[in-house]
Order: sequence, then C-alpha cells, then structure tokens
Amino acid sequence: MTDVAEDSATGVDQSDRAAGARGHVPGDPSMWFFVIGDLLIFGVYFVVYMYFRVQNHELFLHSQARLNLDIGAINTVMLLSSSLFVALGTAAARAGNSADALRRFWVALAFGAAFPLLKMCEWIPEISAALTPGTNLFFMYYYVMTGMHLCHVLLGLIIMCFVIRNLKTSQQPKISFVETGATYWHMVDVLWLVLFALLYLMR
Amino acid sequence: MTSLIRNPLTIVWALLTTVTIASSLIALDGGAAHQINTTVTTAVLLIAGVKAQLVIWHFMEVRRAPVWLKATTSGWVVGLFALLLGFYFAGL
Repeated sequence: MTDVAEDSATGVDQSDRAAGARGHVPGDPSMWFFVIGDLLIFGVYFVVYMYFRVQNHELFLHSQARLNLDIGAINTVMLLSSSLFVALGTAAARAGNSADALRRFWVALAFGAAFPLLKMCEWIPEISAALTPGTNLFFMYYYVMTGMHLCHVLLGLIIMCFVIRNLKTSQQPKISFVETGATYWHMVDVLWLVLFALLYLMR
Repeated sequence: MTSLIRNPLTIVWALLTTVTIASSLIALDGGAAHQINTTVTTAVLLIAGVKAQLVIWHFMEVRRAPVWLKATTSGWVVGLFALLLGFYFAGL
C-alpha cells in the first residue's frame, strides 16, 4: 500500500507497478540459483582476501597505494549507470514499451562496455610498471579477483546483446528473458561494489 | 524525460553515485595512504554494504520478491560484511 502511494507520488513508470505483484521472482529461478551460488563463491574469496590482508597490513597498504583510484571510482559509476538503465529498460519492456526498452538497453550496453575499456587503461600501465600477479600477494588477489569479475562483465555484455536482439526482433519480447539478463547484470554490479571497497578504499 | 528523472530508480542511482564519490573522498582524506585507518575502513565497508543492499533491493527488484529471496540476499550482505569487519578488527 505504501509502495503504491510512493509510486503515485513520484510518477513511477506503469511498468514498475506491473512488476508490483508481491512474491514475484524476477526472471528465471535457475538464474537466481546461479546468482546466489556466485555471490557465495565470491563471498568466500572476499573473506579469504581479508584473512590474508590482516596478516600483512603493510604489504597490502603499500601495494594498494599504487592502484588507480580514479579509474576504479569512474568504473563504479559506469556499472551503476549501466545497472540503472538495465532496470529502467526492464520496466519499460514489462510495460510493453519495446522502443523505450531498446533505447535504455543500448545506453546500458554503452556504459557497461566502458568498464572493460577503462580496465585496460588501468591494467596496461600497471603491468608496464612490473605490477603483475607475481609481484606479491596483494597483486595476485587484485588480478585474480578483478580478472574473474571482468569475465563476468564480458559475459554480462554478451547476455545484454541477446536481450537487445530479443527486444529488437520480437513483437512480443520475452519479459522473463529480459529480467533474467537484468538479474545477472545487477549481480555483476554488486560484486564490483564489494571489490572496489576491498581493493581500492579500505585501509 | 521528467518521469525518468523523478523515477525512484533514478533517485536510487543518484544516491549510489553520491555515496561512491563520498567513499572515495573518505579514502583519499584518510591520512597517509600507507597507514591502517579503522575509521576509513569501517566507513567504506559499511557504505559498500548499504550500496550492495540498495542494488539488490531496488535494481534486482528483491523488495517485491518472496521472503526466501529477501532473506537469502540480505543474509548474504549482512553476513559478508560482518565477517569482513570481524576479520579486520580481529587482525589489528
């Protein structure tokens, strides 16, 4: 009831209300099985990273100071912006507005594609400065965790292309498929938010 | 366009972006880069936890999902950040 009142007050899309059936699992439940599994696996990596970090604060702090915080922060905003447009696109698709959904997914794809490009701008100077996975434990974790995350980003971009194709070619796009792709992409965003805090920000 | 700006999802995004910039500034202002700073670490980890929950809740639409999904995802966020902060403070 409160949500409906809030939605009316803020002029939310009809689509958001269409999704409003309580107890609705967005997308394919099997994708949620994968997402929860992935969150748990990455969660173990994050905790193990912290375990080793606290045993050698000095090494991790000195190594961390050599990362490019600016690119890390910009990449965070890129993924958040991409996630926003995926969520807006999903809402539009649900409302039956395929043209808007398509436009929003294209914007989401553009923001998402900026992530790997910026990652290259970050990694290449670091590798050129002889900061590689073999440098020390921090850089091993840094490259392995951000590398695994980057694989997820690339897979997410491929899935987003399929969602765009579904919206473009089908008269009645499969909403469940759009939601499934969106769920995966948001998970990629959530994992990065944790990585950003652990690798770039904490002291 | 106006409806996009006033959309609750856009407001959530604006909040997420603002706290991302804030947490970067906290990390930059947290004194010498090579020193342990428990205040900075606590702040940036708690902010990251709130951001993760906001994305799960609003973008992933878990706020309208069944209780089991709400409990599982929220449990992951709370459990993970409790463990991270626990290990951090235990190792000081």
